[in-house]
Amino acid sequence: MKHLTSTALALILAAGAARAETTIDFALWGSPEEGEVWKTIAAEFEAAHPDIKVNIEVADWDGYWEKLRVQVAGGEPPDVFAMDAPLYPDWQSRGVLLNLQPYLDANPSALDGVYPITLEAYRTPDGLFGLPRDFQTIVLYYNKDMFDAAGQSYPDDSWSYDDFRAAAARLTLDANGDGVKEQWGFWAEVYDMEPFWGPVVWAWGGSPVDPAAGTTLVNTPEAQAAFQFIHDMWKVDGSMPSEQELAQYGYDGFLAGVAAMGFSGHWSVPEYAAAGLNFDVAPLPIGPAGRATGVNSAGFVISADTDAPDAAWQFVQFAISEAGQAKLANIGLAVPILESVAKGEAYLGQPVQINQALFVDALDYAHMKPVFRGYEEWSSAVGDALNLAWSGEEALADALAIAAEDGDAALAKNQ
Amino acid sequence: MGNLRPMGPERWWVLVFLAPTLLGLLLGTFGSIFATLGISFTDWDLLTPATLAGISNYVDLPGDRLFRNALWNTLAFSALYVPATVIISLFVAIGLNRRIPGISFFRVAFFLPTVSSPTAVGLLWTWIYAENNGLMNRIVTALGGDPVSWLSRDVALYSVVIVNVWGAIGGGMIIFLAGLQSIPKDHCEVAALDGATPWQRLRFITLPALAPAMFFQIVLTTINAFQAFDYIYILTRTGNGNSTMPTLVFSIYRTGFRFFRMGDAAAQAVVLTGMIFVLTLVYFRLQKRWGAQA
Repeated sequence: MKHLTSTALALILAAGAARAETTIDFALWGSPEEGEVWKTIAAEFEAAHPDIKVNIEVADWDGYWEKLRVQVAGGEPPDVFAMDAPLYPDWQSRGVLLNLQPYLDANPSALDGVYPITLEAYRTPDGLFGLPRDFQTIVLYYNKDMFDAAGQSYPDDSWSYDDFRAAAARLTLDANGDGVKEQWGFWAEVYDMEPFWGPVVWAWGGSPVDPAAGTTLVNTPEAQAAFQFIHDMWKVDGSMPSEQELAQYGYDGFLAGVAAMGFSGHWSVPEYAAAGLNFDVAPLPIGPAGRATGVNSAGFVISADTDAPDAAWQFVQFAISEAGQAKLANIGLAVPILESVAKGEAYLGQPVQINQALFVDALDYAHMKPVFRGYEEWSSAVGDALNLAWSGEEALADALAIAAEDGDAALAKNQ
Repeated sequence: MGNLRPMGPERWWVLVFLAPTLLGLLLGTFGSIFATLGISFTDWDLLTPATLAGISNYVDLPGDRLFRNALWNTLAFSALYVPATVIISLFVAIGLNRRIPGISFFRVAFFLPTVSSPTAVGLLWTWIYAENNGLMNRIVTALGGDPVSWLSRDVALYSVVIVNVWGAIGGGMIIFLAGLQSIPKDHCEVAALDGATPWQRLRFITLPALAPAMFFQIVLTTINAFQAFDYIYILTRTGNGNSTMPTLVFSIYRTGFRFFRMGDAAAQAVVLTGMIFVLTLVYFRLQKRWGAQA
């Protein structure tokens, strides 16, 4: 009630003020803690722009997208909202996003110091309809305690995928010999291409998909060899827990402390640190075609229907400025897109003392996560088909053929 | 009973009091049914205006592997779930339809899953089915068996049927208990005096008297089977919000809201509704015939 009264008072005061106040809504997915950090960024922005007020609306990933679709379809979109690069074309191609190119043309220095690869996803023939706010590269996480206990030297930049596979086998343990493993050498999320199978396919010289040609590339000779490697490490060596074996430990085997290594992005750092794991990160191993990883960025877009495009742009510009990026780096969930911040104290001096610079250095050998209209449908079709191989329902070769066929069907539906 | 019928101006009041429900039914239920039917003949992605698509969404359905897979999962699930739920809840109701000490406790125990949150209960079953150290496999290994992968592809169907049947027994039991208690006790007593065995009493008195309840329960269970989602999703979900055993309802949600294809999702929903409708018609026919014989 007190809150209501003060809001009402504020409204009356605002209405009475000579200059009308503009309010913009910014919606994003994330945890409540992230919401709090965004509120401090918004407060700093409001101090510099007294005539603009920013409303932060945070929801979890699933709830965010559900709500956003209804809001946009219902004609009441938030002015600014968060975007995941692979899903951006689904929104951009349907005309619901504001073209930011005129603003960028008027502020040629707005993107100075931004890592170019993080901008790629948002480029269209008509200009940029979105801007990145942070990025993720995939690295190799390892549990130091498990390596020490096994007398195994830590992973370094000399590791090949064979070294990695051998270490994973050595770190897979059934200490009491009851036939039930208590520890596995490796765990990664295998459904989406981002954390694991995409980087492995790249390291074998393949590629997951060619969206322009409408072709899924998981059944090329290079990809077949990459998937064979995953299959052998998982199903022959038994160095990765099956979904069944993992179920009782939750979703993430590295987080649960039952996997000695994992492939993941920076988003895992706060969680792993909070779980009290003694861990660090290393570059992904070298494959037959060299070293490769993936990079994906999360960003902002502005609604094409916003009443306050200028205020929304001001806010986006602030969030990718040094001040905004330095605050965001504090959340520790991602890497800043500004080189000056990613190489500075705000990012490198985070409380979690691991090789933070590695996530930035990984850009040198990173491939962009595919970005195209229908990404989610394609990812689901391919993921469902690959699951046939991981569950043992189909032979790997058959599952890859199905994945390619279903992936192509999904691409065709979204042309 | 005739004097309970509303007369004269009372009739208008009946209409007034029923209006909120009738309006809700008209706009909410029938409105969305017709809207779904309409959307199924369009291509609509939520964000841009819909365009007419004729019957193409229906024509494309058989070629959509994700849909075929979901349809097959739902059919296989229903074929096991419906008979198991009806038969088991019938026997539970018969077993609990007597005056013994602590009977309320048992009735509550069987009904408890019905009022529990499916998400919480689903998570509990994940632990029960866990491959290592899960409750089920502890029992299996204690009895000298080999651990079972309860949620692996070939076993998952049976595992999720078990959970869903377990969750549905309470609701079925209530319907059957109500039916059983409306059977006059004298009938069974007379039959017993005439020398009818317990089996004969069940076969010739209890079951025929339960026919309406049975019919109701079969229809309801079939509808629930085709709409099954929550336990199955919790038990078989994978990363990125997908599932190793996608059902029709899951497919409808995913196609419409995640793949931006509302027209295809609506066509799937219409097919689902059509299947339930046809099955219910078949049941009605069967009931008429069975009712005529009894």
